[in-house]
Amino acid sequence: MRGLHVVRQAVRAAVPVAALLLAATALPAAAQEAAREPAYRAFPLIGSRLAVWAIAQLHLNFAAFILGVPIFAVIIEIIGWRTGAPRYDWLSHEFVKLIFAAFSTTALLGAFLLFLFVGYYPKFWAYMTSIFFPTYWIYALLFFAETFTVYLWYYGWEWLSGPRKWVHVSLGVLSNLFGTAILLIGNSWVTFMMSPAGVTETGALKGSVWAAINNSTWMPINIHRLIANIVFGGTIAAAYAAFRFLNATTDEERARYDWMGYVGNFVALSAFIVLPFAGYWLGREIYAFNQTMGITMMGGFMSWLWIIQAILIGVLFLGSNYYLWLGMERIPGSERYRKYVPYMLTILAIGFMVWATPHSLIVTLEEARAMGGTHHPFLGFFGVMSAKNTAVNLMILTTFLSYVLYRRANRLSIRPWVVIGMAIQWAAFAVAAAIVVFYGVYGYFVESIVRIGFSVYQVGAVLGAIVLVMTIDVPMFRGAKSTGAIRWGSIPARSQYVLILLAVTFTWLMGLMGFARSGIRQYWHVYGILRDTSVDAVTPALGYAANMITTVTIVFFALVMFIFWLGGLSEKGKPGAHGAAAMPVIAGGSEDPR
Amino acid sequence: MRVPVGLKLSVFSLAVMGVYTYFANSIPQIESKPPEELSLEGGNVTPAQLVKAGEQIFHTKGTCEVCHKIGEKGTRAPDLAGVGARAAKRKPGQSAKQYLIESLLDPGAYLVEGYPNIMPRVDKPPIGLNRSELWAVVALLESLGGSVDVKLDDIPKTAGAPAVGGTAAELKLPGDPKAGEAVFAGKGACIACHKAGKVGAAQVGPDLSQIARIQTPEYIMGKILNPSAMGTVAGYPKGVMPPIFGQTLTAKEYVDLVSFLLTLK
Ligand code: HEC
Ligand code: HEC
Repeated sequence: MRGLHVVRQAVRAAVPVAALLLAATALPAAAQEAAREPAYRAFPLIGSRLAVWAIAQLHLNFAAFILGVPIFAVIIEIIGWRTGAPRYDWLSHEFVKLIFAAFSTTALLGAFLLFLFVGYYPKFWAYMTSIFFPTYWIYALLFFAETFTVYLWYYGWEWLSGPRKWVHVSLGVLSNLFGTAILLIGNSWVTFMMSPAGVTETGALKGSVWAAINNSTWMPINIHRLIANIVFGGTIAAAYAAFRFLNATTDEERARYDWMGYVGNFVALSAFIVLPFAGYWLGREIYAFNQTMGITMMGGFMSWLWIIQAILIGVLFLGSNYYLWLGMERIPGSERYRKYVPYMLTILAIGFMVWATPHSLIVTLEEARAMGGTHHPFLGFFGVMSAKNTAVNLMILTTFLSYVLYRRANRLSIRPWVVIGMAIQWAAFAVAAAIVVFYGVYGYFVESIVRIGFSVYQVGAVLGAIVLVMTIDVPMFRGAKSTGAIRWGSIPARSQYVLILLAVTFTWLMGLMGFARSGIRQYWHVYGILRDTSVDAVTPALGYAANMITTVTIVFFALVMFIFWLGGLSEKGKPGAHGAAAMPVIAGGSEDPR
Repeated sequence: MRVPVGLKLSVFSLAVMGVYTYFANSIPQIESKPPEELSLEGGNVTPAQLVKAGEQIFHTKGTCEVCHKIGEKGTRAPDLAGVGARAAKRKPGQSAKQYLIESLLDPGAYLVEGYPNIMPRVDKPPIGLNRSELWAVVALLESLGGSVDVKLDDIPKTAGAPAVGGTAAELKLPGDPKAGEAVFAGKGACIACHKAGKVGAAQVGPDLSQIARIQTPEYIMGKILNPSAMGTVAGYPKGVMPPIFGQTLTAKEYVDLVSFLLTLK
């Protein structure tokens, strides 16, 4: 009757959360009936805008975490299941434990956010409800399904092991499907506010709600957020591992969390590499939806925002590379590759500088005037994006090179064709870099529309090189001679600070992007349809936004630490907790460094 | 004494965020303020406020900027720098103020040399400014080289769209914009010379991305059937836009095409 017990436990834990959400969803209908309501109410002390801002940012941080982590947790679980290596199962369980701990906080914040909207922005909420009411139900039901599946996934770990493992893995997959569906629905609301579709000029729904859901920024945001969530989940999980590493008292524990941090960072980095492309697509859609909005975003009062973004992205690239280079120190045999580090560092630094070079900075209103508001050419924005695309593609290639060198650090291929193989690999790098540079330069001599197409070739070249290099690399180093096992846990402590740096920076970046997303609507709740007539209609400057982002990020990390600490409490007193048997393999592992 | 890891990491994280925050506070701080509602009538407005309001309209609702620039030649129309001074000498016996008002309400009455008669009446759709807005725009024009002396009463009572619901009445054509887009890119071959929003990139003819915001349906329709009769857009070659579409397009294709062009706002 073990199974029944697990299910009951899961249900008992899941029901209150889901019920809360359902109750909250039913609310707006009631709110709508009260027609005599004011358009706004004032939140005490800090005002409604800051209240919504703080809670929304926190909710999104948590939601991103609990949606991002399961994606790779389940992949890792599958790896463990197929390879039979227990350390993967341990790691996956460790990740899910983090999600589990953060789950109810996410839901509570979501419900809180809803109360804020209903209570303090009743007119806005009534309007959104008039369009999206059918989706609320789906959302609530999906949330219930998601909660239940995740709880079962977590509690059922032991129960559904062995021959029943496939059921367990399916639960993981299922929770990802539910999670993604939830994300898509939430995104439809938020993108509708940005680029409303399917409504008349006065804002009434024309046909079915689908047209409003499928507005022009919906898909780009879906993809962008999905990828960003993986990055975010990876960095937070890595930061958790760093914390445990630094606190570890035994070598065995250090080894375990060194590895966990490594995997977290690996996941984050892999997803991070494609994020810029998703970002361009989104930018393009915004431009196509409304030029004025595109101009506000890239050249208007927000132009400095992209410089800050570029700096943060530069920090992330440099940080992840530095972490990989430091990681080589725990690999005997890696000395051979250290000589490449200065070159890679140079490319990254130059790329960083190009990336951070402003395009259209408007410092004064006079300059804004000179540029001409409504008809700023499309060219401008993508024109210089040509240089930036080149820089970011080279940075991605370099980062990939770091990873390839890291992979082979302790291995000597025993294949007879190793010389040719390596030559082809280097050639692939060189050709990809040449293509990227060629189109980057050529881009200055052609029409914008043609140039936009170039970025596709650049990305294609980089992705092609990645695929080609890996196809050669995997067989080339299969069964390779080892120059020594990776000494997990022997990485210098400062590497763990890099992991923290990455997590903090990415979280901050997410806050900034949230401000960008919501700020480009300027004085509109729903762009062009529902005006913001509240006292907070002014969109604040970046300094103000930064103060707010920092404050919320601090609260977020404080909450996360508290929650993880709570999660750790239950683990104490259970020395033989899940997966401990896996440790010797990790500590002594001579397996491939992935 | 050993400092707890949690404390060290917290200090580290705070320092990192501190740097970001400091940087964000050290750059120019630009807020985005909502535009003020224009209700100039009745209230006491200073000329400076009026000019500022006029500037707003110039960039936004007036769409003047799609054709004109201030300080350089516009894409379709003359540079307006100095127009406040120039206006007094345009037509004998007409004051600067009178000329400027006329140039907005009856643009064809006097044509700047080298330019065709393509400027629409700005108080009629699609631009459709109301009287207060016209007043503010004239003040802006006067301020470009002249002195601001325009009063609301100078704007003819008959001018202007009604103050409320000033948006252009929509013309309903039986055409299908989607099919029109196909004509634009296909049979009509407009795409060979024009760009229209996401469609096309050619720069032989003017960018049509916002044509419906600045031009009347009559103009657009006339331009397709008989380009030279509508005047040649300044800065573009004469006689290049083919006068054959009246023959080559079917009635349905023509209506679809126009419907498509009217979506370009
Ligand atoms: C479709 C393009 C177009 C738009 C939109 C447009 N104009 Fe014009 N405008 C022209 C052209 C072409 C001329 C020159 C021919 C003429 O005098 O009519 C002109 C002439 C003028 C002149 C006379 C300049 C002189 O030196 O005598 C003024 C003043 C003027 N426009 C103001 C405006 C203002 C204000 C707006 C916005 C409310 C506006 N225009 C919108 C095309 C445009
Ligand atoms: C061979 C090149 C060419 C082709 C093909 C062409 N145009 Fe043009 N078009 C021009 C040029 C050049 C101008 C500007 C000179 C003028 O006004 O005649 C122009 C002007 C216009 C204008 C006025 C723009 C303005 O800013 O006032 C419209 C509207 C227009 N074209 C629509 C069309 C449509 C619709 C088609 C397809 C059925 C088309 N054109 C095909 C060259 C072309």
